[in-house]
Amino acid sequence: MRIEKSSDWMEGLQKRLDGEQEWDNWTLYQMSYDVEKRKLIPTFYGLQSPKFLPALKPYPHQLEAAETVIERMNGKAILADEVGLGKTIEAGLIMKEYLIRGLVKKALILTPASLSTQWIEELNQKFHIPAVPFNKKYDLNLCNIVVASLDMAKRSPHKENIYNQNYDLVIVDEAHKLKNHKTKNYEFVQSLKKKFCLLLTATPIQNDVFELFHLISLLKPGHLGNFETFQQVFSASKHNVEEDEFLKELINQVMVRNSRQHIGLDWTSRRVQIIPIEFSQKEKEVYDLIANSAEHLKAFSDAFTVMTLKREFCSSKEAAWLTLEKLVEKCNGAEERAYINELLMKLQALEINTKAEKAYEIIKQANDKVIIFTEYRASQTYLQAYLFSKGITSVPFNGKFNKSKREWMKQLFKEKAQVLIATESGSEGINLQFCHHVINYDLPWNPMKVEQRIGRVHRLGQEHDVHIYNLAIKHTIEDYMLELLNTKIGVFEKVVGELDDILSEYRLSI
Amino acid sequence: METNCPIVQESDHHLSVQLTIEMDKRIMNRPFYWSYVESTGGEPNPAKLTLITDKTRMGLNIPGEVVHYGSPRLNQLFQVAKERGAFVQLFENVDNQTGVQTVLTPWLGVNYKITYSSDRTKEMLYSLGMNLMTGAIMDGFHEAVSELRLQAAIPPNTFYLPYIIKPMRAMERLETLIDELIAQDDHTWADEAAARQKRDLQVLEYFYKDTEERPESYEMEKKAIKEQYETKIKVEIINGGLFYVR
Repeated sequence: MRIEKSSDWMEGLQKRLDGEQEWDNWTLYQMSYDVEKRKLIPTFYGLQSPKFLPALKPYPHQLEAAETVIERMNGKAILADEVGLGKTIEAGLIMKEYLIRGLVKKALILTPASLSTQWIEELNQKFHIPAVPFNKKYDLNLCNIVVASLDMAKRSPHKENIYNQNYDLVIVDEAHKLKNHKTKNYEFVQSLKKKFCLLLTATPIQNDVFELFHLISLLKPGHLGNFETFQQVFSASKHNVEEDEFLKELINQVMVRNSRQHIGLDWTSRRVQIIPIEFSQKEKEVYDLIANSAEHLKAFSDAFTVMTLKREFCSSKEAAWLTLEKLVEKCNGAEERAYINELLMKLQALEINTKAEKAYEIIKQANDKVIIFTEYRASQTYLQAYLFSKGITSVPFNGKFNKSKREWMKQLFKEKAQVLIATESGSEGINLQFCHHVINYDLPWNPMKVEQRIGRVHRLGQEHDVHIYNLAIKHTIEDYMLELLNTKIGVFEKVVGELDDILSEYRLSI
Repeated sequence: METNCPIVQESDHHLSVQLTIEMDKRIMNRPFYWSYVESTGGEPNPAKLTLITDKTRMGLNIPGEVVHYGSPRLNQLFQVAKERGAFVQLFENVDNQTGVQTVLTPWLGVNYKITYSSDRTKEMLYSLGMNLMTGAIMDGFHEAVSELRLQAAIPPNTFYLPYIIKPMRAMERLETLIDELIAQDDHTWADEAAARQKRDLQVLEYFYKDTEERPESYEMEKKAIKEQYETKIKVEIINGGLFYVR
């Protein structure tokens, strides 16, 4: 085996013996030895990092996760704790450990753009790791710990500059953004050299088990076999995972997942309920008109358009309005145009939004801070106006806000307003433990997005039970969405592990 | 202080030090200030550094930096200590009121740090000393000499023997000893790392087994696995020097 030695010290000694340089001071000599003695890492096992971070008080499950990743997974892992259990802390502990042990000199952290600053602050303040933001003006050779947004890093010329660096550790936050192996994101991370690698995501499966296959193949190609063999076993039915136990065991070799129930902390409970809503007669008429429109019109013949419109209309007429307006421009025949215009007229004539009224009712009853999540910006604006007319103050929130605006809105919500209305993109990286009511005004296709939403509120630090209200209009596409969400949750639970309630005991009710 | 910086204020949980110009340049990280002062010929005003070791017990509201093991400022100070405490030549001061002359024997003392590393690490310290008259070797040398009263100048009424074994020759012999210590040690850790590496490489081969032309990512992955588990042993010298002791 190679033994590395340096002759520098011997040369220095010779210079002193020859009288060319002065001898050093005894106290500094003793101090220096003493420091080395205290910093010594006497064993291959266990974590040294907590000793160097007295101000950090990690939870036992976080320490255990860090140790498992280093000792059992050899530094290549998916950190898949449920939302709000501190994956960043675990990643920080692991990185610190490798830095202390001298195994990592250079590290690259890839995050969504909106979370970069938060990462830099946490690494510097909590872990004393001198992380800097990626900046095209900086010389990457001189920056050892760099935090970059994935979107920026994957583009030329940054991509090439990053490839030229020799990173020992690569961390990807919100790694579900790599679920599709045909994307630039995936390709970029695949081509990075990954000596040690951490992929952070609370939602390693969003739709099907192949996403997890691709994620693991990024981390450790071959661990689940190659694609052909994996497909043979699992593609028979996408939603019917067989050989579950075997797969689960393989996955557990590269994935750490703590769930709220199992970490032994005193968690407040989740009270999830589905609130079924009945459309008013007039709303029902318009909905049916939209649902049947495909038969009448070319512009609607695309099934996706009809589905989108149905979902939008279930949210608010405002949301559907924008899509319809665009359709008017696209359609050719006068007949078609007339049909859509009639639809628009009918929309305009609607005065009542039954769902919004229900939401208002819930807010009144809660008599407390409430977060409303919606998929549509138009619904967000409408709800704000509607609630205002009812004398309820609210603030908007979405992912496009920059950091200071986010902080400001959060502050306004905490101190002045009763309701925060957020769009989907607002559901990452904001923590609102002071609130304990969440209304899912409409639902996304992906159950993990619902989990992300709830996670804003139901996380470490929450002291009250959290109430979740899932609004769904009966006999519409929303019924179907609930069903599909449940099937996906089933897949996730079979392969990854149990999930906290997202949709309530829906399965029992059908 | 040993860097010639006077201590201005001190308690059990904090310490204020007036830095010298040299120390300010070394640790305060303000090159622009110093190039400004030097180019304008202005009055240099080195900083006062206040370090707090126990924030909770600070009664007075003294502004300062909280330090602990692992804090960047302390690491900077340690780095200075390391550079400025690397080589010593010291003489034992023996209390002899009897008027008898004391004769001191030369020793070479060297403090080694050995690091074993693969995807994990372990470190060991060895403090070895060699009697430069007889060639006798002593383990735990630093601990032994730390008990003595040592000083940089020869005490009065004291003489020392010139060494017979040259320090460079002694160095070589100590290094051979270190090599032997390493050779005799248990190296299961290296075999285990090799086994982990082999397994990961097999997994990788399996992934690409049906691929005729292996893509670049295959080579990249292979390289990463090799680096990840590469076993290395590193021998560093922390410090050392000549010790004239009785």
